[in-house]
Amino acid sequence: MRRFAYLGLIAYALISVYPFVWMVSGAFKSRTEILEGDLLPREPTLDTLITTWGQLHFFDYFLNSLKVTAMTVAGVLVVYSLASYAFAVLDFPGRRFLYWFFVALLFVPGITVLLPVVILEKNLGVLGTHLGLVLPFVNGTAPLTVLLLTNSFRSIPRELREAARSDGAGEARIYWSVYLPLSKPAHITIAVLTAVPTWNEYVLTRVSISDKALYTLPLGLESLISSEVPRYNEVMAASLIIVLPVIALFLLLQRYFVTGLVGAIKG
Amino acid sequence: MSTLITGDRAARLDARPPARPPRLRRWLTGWAFVTPAVALFLLMGVYTIASGFLLSFATWNGFTPQWTWVGLKNYADLLYADLTLAPELRRALWNTLQVMVAVPVLTVVVALPLAMMLNSVTRLRALLRSVYFLPYVTSGIAVYYAWRYVLQPDGAINLLLGSLGLGSLAQPQGWLGNPDTALPTLILILVWSSVPVATLLYLSGLQAIDGNVIEAAQIDGAAPRHVLRHIIWPLLRPITIAIVLLGVRDALHGFQIFLIMTNGGPGGHTDVLGLMTYRLSFMKGLAPTLGVASALGWLLFAGAVLMTLAFGRRVR
Repeated sequence: MRRFAYLGLIAYALISVYPFVWMVSGAFKSRTEILEGDLLPREPTLDTLITTWGQLHFFDYFLNSLKVTAMTVAGVLVVYSLASYAFAVLDFPGRRFLYWFFVALLFVPGITVLLPVVILEKNLGVLGTHLGLVLPFVNGTAPLTVLLLTNSFRSIPRELREAARSDGAGEARIYWSVYLPLSKPAHITIAVLTAVPTWNEYVLTRVSISDKALYTLPLGLESLISSEVPRYNEVMAASLIIVLPVIALFLLLQRYFVTGLVGAIKG
Repeated sequence: MSTLITGDRAARLDARPPARPPRLRRWLTGWAFVTPAVALFLLMGVYTIASGFLLSFATWNGFTPQWTWVGLKNYADLLYADLTLAPELRRALWNTLQVMVAVPVLTVVVALPLAMMLNSVTRLRALLRSVYFLPYVTSGIAVYYAWRYVLQPDGAINLLLGSLGLGSLAQPQGWLGNPDTALPTLILILVWSSVPVATLLYLSGLQAIDGNVIEAAQIDGAAPRHVLRHIIWPLLRPITIAIVLLGVRDALHGFQIFLIMTNGGPGGHTDVLGLMTYRLSFMKGLAPTLGVASALGWLLFAGAVLMTLAFGRRVR
């Protein structure tokens, strides 16, 4: 019985890594070798990775992606952590309404507001800038973030709050030194859930960024494949460059991320 | 949750609650905490939602200064009146429905056994869990291109089939080039990307089930399939519902994979509603299609609300 379990588990592990194996193999192949079907490159070469990185200003695109992702994650964590704390423990008129309002935005499809966002940003003069990406990205994470963080703050026993209050702590202090440390896994989960789609975002970036100096990695990758005959070794090299930082981030934060996600959905 | 309730009750039973700040101060503190979120919504959300909704009752090409009001005509055009838009919408709707049913069902069918197997082993569990998560954390344009690479006519999948002696199953036009295999292929890739989170949720659900319940059933002579059907499946129901709801919403709203991998082709066989909205919004040049695009976007919104309500009522 257990042997069957391992067989099934390993089979699915192979399916999980399948495209990555070919991504890595392609990234180490030369322009001629990519046209053959072998999995292992006969003469593995670093040239493809190096030329792809250099030719396409991947370092600039990398920094742009990093900047947009970092600003978005920081914005999400600050703005919705504060709001969720208020929804979970504070008492003020409009609390329930605002909470359900933010959650209900979950039903508004991104594509429905994509066009109005572009029109609005044209009028505000931020269309085509990195800020013009970050603002809608942050706003777009509102429903899920508020849902998960409010849940996490609610699960913290109220006695801690009352105890901190009788020690003379103000609301900002209670939030910062009691609630925030206790819901660290939920915040890390939100950071990962925000960072991954932002790092990979393609649609809004495609329709709003036209200045090549502001390109993010997905746009750089796209410019490789839109040529008449895509050189798949370069496409795979670029894909690998995009994927590796996300994998590193996940492995680093995996422990918190898993407990945070599970706790958030259960609550 | 239970600690929260007892905590609340204990606080209420406390004869003398600690002194609370005056009411107005409490209110101002609360509002201060939500101000950034509300301000951002006022800046980005109010205008976009309101103007997008109004635009669905007008025609506009994005360049002329004026909108032309047409009432409900955009909605009528999409649903039946227009001779090119209505059939296009019906085809995209049919494809979307297939994705909406197939992806959640297949995700559950793959993820539940996977989680049960993962729960039954001790060695390698942490490693396997990380490996299973790879498709989720990398989901996006880079991985879609890797799939395109292995699915092309002389790609790895066709070569694999050939070397297994299944060459007759290989697709000489590529898996995304053949109208019959393109949509099923995309559905399988979507399942591949949604299995990780589903498996993790099921695994945590399985670990929360009291082992004594299952043991007692086994002592009473219940076969493994009865344990699965009458104990495990009902206890995991909330998780299944969450997975299905997320899948339905993604099918209605998501279109990135369709845009990147096939752009609706070949011949519209992988066109979905989100992609059609995108096309009407950004790919029509000077044609006045922005109103129709907005109308379609709001139909998607209505669809998501209705599906959730209907599903919510059924499971209750």
